[in-house]
Amino acid sequence: MSDDALLETQRLRKEFGGLVAVDDVDFTVPEGAIVSLIGPNGAGKTTFFNMLTGVYKPTSGFVFFGGENLTGKPPHTFTHRGIGRTFQNIRLFQNMTALENVLVGMHVRLKGNAFQTILRTPKAKHEESAARERGRELLEFSGLRRKDDEIGRNLSYGDQRRLEVARALATQPKLLLLDEPTAGMNPQETAEFTDFVAKLRSEQGVAVLLIEHDMRVVMGVSDRVTVLDYGEKIAEGEPKEIQKNERVIEAYLGKAAVTSS
Amino acid sequence: MATTVHPEALAKPARPLGAYVMPVLAAILVGLLVFWLIVNFVKGPAYFTDIAFIGLTNGAVYALVALGYTLVYGILELINFAHGDVFMLGALFSASMLSVFGVTAKSSNGALAVGIVGSLLVAMAACGFLNVAIERIAYRPLRGAPRLAPLITAIGMSFILQDVAIAWKGPGYISVPEVLPTGDVFSVGGVTYTWEKLIVFVITVPVLLALMWLVQKTRQGKAMRATAQDRDAAAMMGIDVNRTISFTFLIAGALAGAGGLLYALYFGQVHYDTGFTLGLIAFTAAVLGGIGNLPGAVLGALVIGFIQAFNEGLTWHSPGSDWTQSIVFSILILILVFRPEGLLGERTPEGN
Amino acid sequence: MWRSVRGAISRAWWAVLGLVGLTHERWLGYSRLTRRTVKAVVWIGIGLLLVWGLGVWANSAILAAAVLLLLIVVPYQNWTVRGRRVGKWVLPGAVLLIGVTYPFYGTHMPELPIFGPFPQMSTMVAMMIFSVMALGLNFVVGYAGLLDLGYVAFYAVGAYTAGWFASNQFANRNVDFGAVGLLKGTTGIHFSIWLVLIIAGALTALAGILIGLPTLRLRGDYLAIVTLGFGEIVHQVAQNGDSLAGFNITNGTGGITPIDGPGFGNWARAHLHLPANYLTATNLDNVFFWTAVILVLITVFVSARLRDSRLGRAWVAIREDEIAAAAMGVPLMRTKTWAYATGAFFGGVAGAYYASYKGGAFPDDFFFQISVFILAMVILGGMGNIWGVIFGACFLTYLNQEGLSNVGAWLNGHFGPGGDVVQVWHKTLDVPLYEFGIYGVILVVTMLFRPEGLIPSSRRAAEFHEGVHEEYLYDVEHGAPIYEEAT
Repeated sequence: MSDDALLETQRLRKEFGGLVAVDDVDFTVPEGAIVSLIGPNGAGKTTFFNMLTGVYKPTSGFVFFGGENLTGKPPHTFTHRGIGRTFQNIRLFQNMTALENVLVGMHVRLKGNAFQTILRTPKAKHEESAARERGRELLEFSGLRRKDDEIGRNLSYGDQRRLEVARALATQPKLLLLDEPTAGMNPQETAEFTDFVAKLRSEQGVAVLLIEHDMRVVMGVSDRVTVLDYGEKIAEGEPKEIQKNERVIEAYLGKAAVTSS
Repeated sequence: MATTVHPEALAKPARPLGAYVMPVLAAILVGLLVFWLIVNFVKGPAYFTDIAFIGLTNGAVYALVALGYTLVYGILELINFAHGDVFMLGALFSASMLSVFGVTAKSSNGALAVGIVGSLLVAMAACGFLNVAIERIAYRPLRGAPRLAPLITAIGMSFILQDVAIAWKGPGYISVPEVLPTGDVFSVGGVTYTWEKLIVFVITVPVLLALMWLVQKTRQGKAMRATAQDRDAAAMMGIDVNRTISFTFLIAGALAGAGGLLYALYFGQVHYDTGFTLGLIAFTAAVLGGIGNLPGAVLGALVIGFIQAFNEGLTWHSPGSDWTQSIVFSILILILVFRPEGLLGERTPEGN
Repeated sequence: MWRSVRGAISRAWWAVLGLVGLTHERWLGYSRLTRRTVKAVVWIGIGLLLVWGLGVWANSAILAAAVLLLLIVVPYQNWTVRGRRVGKWVLPGAVLLIGVTYPFYGTHMPELPIFGPFPQMSTMVAMMIFSVMALGLNFVVGYAGLLDLGYVAFYAVGAYTAGWFASNQFANRNVDFGAVGLLKGTTGIHFSIWLVLIIAGALTALAGILIGLPTLRLRGDYLAIVTLGFGEIVHQVAQNGDSLAGFNITNGTGGITPIDGPGFGNWARAHLHLPANYLTATNLDNVFFWTAVILVLITVFVSARLRDSRLGRAWVAIREDEIAAAAMGVPLMRTKTWAYATGAFFGGVAGAYYASYKGGAFPDDFFFQISVFILAMVILGGMGNIWGVIFGACFLTYLNQEGLSNVGAWLNGHFGPGGDVVQVWHKTLDVPLYEFGIYGVILVVTMLFRPEGLIPSSRRAAEFHEGVHEEYLYDVEHGAPIYEEAT
């Protein structure tokens, strides 16, 4: 287990019946890094994410976070240890307000137990109002000022994406997993989002692992890029190297693209 | 990218001790069961065989009802709570039809056969169409609703059907006239077979064969299987999903009707509550065999039928009929918690 | 279709009114207070005319009309005292006042058409007790969104706890701890009923946690069936429990009876005028009723507090999208178990109290249909809405205890043999016999047309009509890929 690796997987594998979705992948994310995970559709990236957050139990292999073996633990344990995530297709709590969505994210960090809640002790009241205040701050940080009481499903697409990030940030993660966060965004929104990801690291001290298809984001903000194809890791390195890597080009565009370049 | 490989990853992951607990416990349980059966058998072989035969009959009735549950669950992922009560009404229909056909204990064999077959067909048709109607009224409008909504209407329909029975035949036990001739038909190896015993096979086997033919060989059967596996894909292939679902309910209802006739003939007494209890037992059988799996439903039904008969009939250290329901429900709970795919079901990549 | 009919009626109505100079626009010109007053006066007036016309007049009808008028017209919603919105307490306070004083005016109320006389006190006690149970089930079904078909098990555990700790069941142990009304030389364990209520709640909560351990991880429909199974197992244990491995736990089909009543002892009667022993009090039903109202209030209090808490939010999140909730750190099992255990607690308290009132714990009371009966209260009244659930509980309990027989008598009197209006059927129709079929119809009709219930929680209504993301972690754990699998 290397010293500065925040997240580490060893021979992580996921099979669905006969289909191998993730094929013995070794992977690390160093502390405070921004790493991108790319690859053609069907490469197993979201499946990989799901194993990194406890939603799937790996068929074999291990997930280590902060030195601790989290393999096979339930999702909320991963969140508790500091892994937060957004989803590829937005999974907000559609009928809850933006602030409520963020407050759910804080669930794992709030302490009050049920008895204190029922009696509404000063401690419980204080914790609740402090949580709301923090929630508003997070919404503002994510670009959702004054949208606290908007119902989730009524927000615009871009705002919904931002809310998902705010909600994930509420879990106070050390590592944030973003699954295709810029899908459906126009170039300006994408550029803003790229800056936002950089801000996450610089202002919140959060490491970021990104699944992305948009190369501008990948190139613009990543320290390192890992490429998956058919569940296997086929390349890893700095963004500029990956851009020129033949295997990567072949995976995306086919053999002809490689021979013609 | 210098990572030291964690030693755990290198060694072949040893199965944690906990993984052995389950199979060992299951083996012990089965072993005890077998031992108990053997002791009882030794104490009275003829009696044991009689009890075993009751188990077989129970199993046949449960199989017919369980198949209905599993067909509907396979295609809609809905537990049709009202199914047991459709069965109960089938028994009542059969009882009525038997008197309509004028079948009595004194009828000739020919009249008896006509009467039984006629009642069978009427009961199957009536229950089939009743089931289709229930689907149209209570389940179809809730296709897009949260999955618990049709379950609640199913319970409501169950209660309604029970009250229909009460309105029709009253809240007491309804006797079905004894129509089967009581003489022995033949005996094999010291065990005599009466018509009562044979009627089980005479009714169940053809019905099961017909079902198998229907599901495997006909176009509608293929449509049922396709819709059960992937409803959207089936729709894209041009299958009329609504009609297929209605057809499935028709078949499930018909099976329940056949089960009802069998029950009426064999057990001679129907109560408006019969369907509820029997329905849950049959559902347990379907889950035991693997919900969605047709042979599994039959297998599960036979197992449950034997368990019930042994529990109620055997004398050496047997809990007795007071505890049948608890035993059956305990089996249901254990299966759903520890092996939800049942005995024959597979954990498919596509989920249920 | 209903909307277009309503629209047509409305247009016709305004057309007629326009003839006398009152057009819709003029009407909207008046202040809201005026409009509300006029509407209230008109409808209440019509009601009074009906009561008089049907020949069931009593002077209390005027009092009732006045109270209704005040409640509807006065704009108390906006009242504030020193900056705190006290207006929102007016309606609940009024309802509470009306309810608590019922023993005094209940017998003076006019007869209702079809339903007959107002409910008796024994029915009112039952209504309060089932309100507690329905509020308990509301934690499970309304807040956490779990379908529980075995709630009767909690009712049973509560009742039998009262049987164990306040009767002669364990006659070889003689313990007297605060019980009232005991004769000298009584055997058995006899704790004060107040203590028994707490013990019952705790034991039932424990039972809920135990049942929940294997059960709550299952997907929705399996959970429903398994809870049903547990309910039936408890029922059978209650029936056969007179010889469990040689021990008599439940006294079998006869049940455990008699069970002590609650009370405050002789000192309290002398100095505080509180009843020494409820069962010997002259106004037995009344004191049980008022204590039951207090139980309801406690349950309402806990419900409201938990609903608006971190736990309540977690419950909503689980209803919306279980997997996303888990990914956001909500511990699914623990959160669901809290709902289940809390629901169990109140079911146990209500069960113990009811057993004390009825004087026994009888296995015949704990059959499956009761679980559905309580479920129907929650569903009809309004899943997740405290008022709705209480309304559903009161209404269905009333039907169960008196309403159905009254309706039956009215129907038979008018349409049955020798009927006043016209004879439609020839044999007396036994309406209470079809009780559960009627509840079945209520369930089906409610789920088809208004699944959020009569007095809905706005959130639940939205969830039913807008939809939620229904995907179970259970399915994912058993091999199903998440629906969005694309990369």
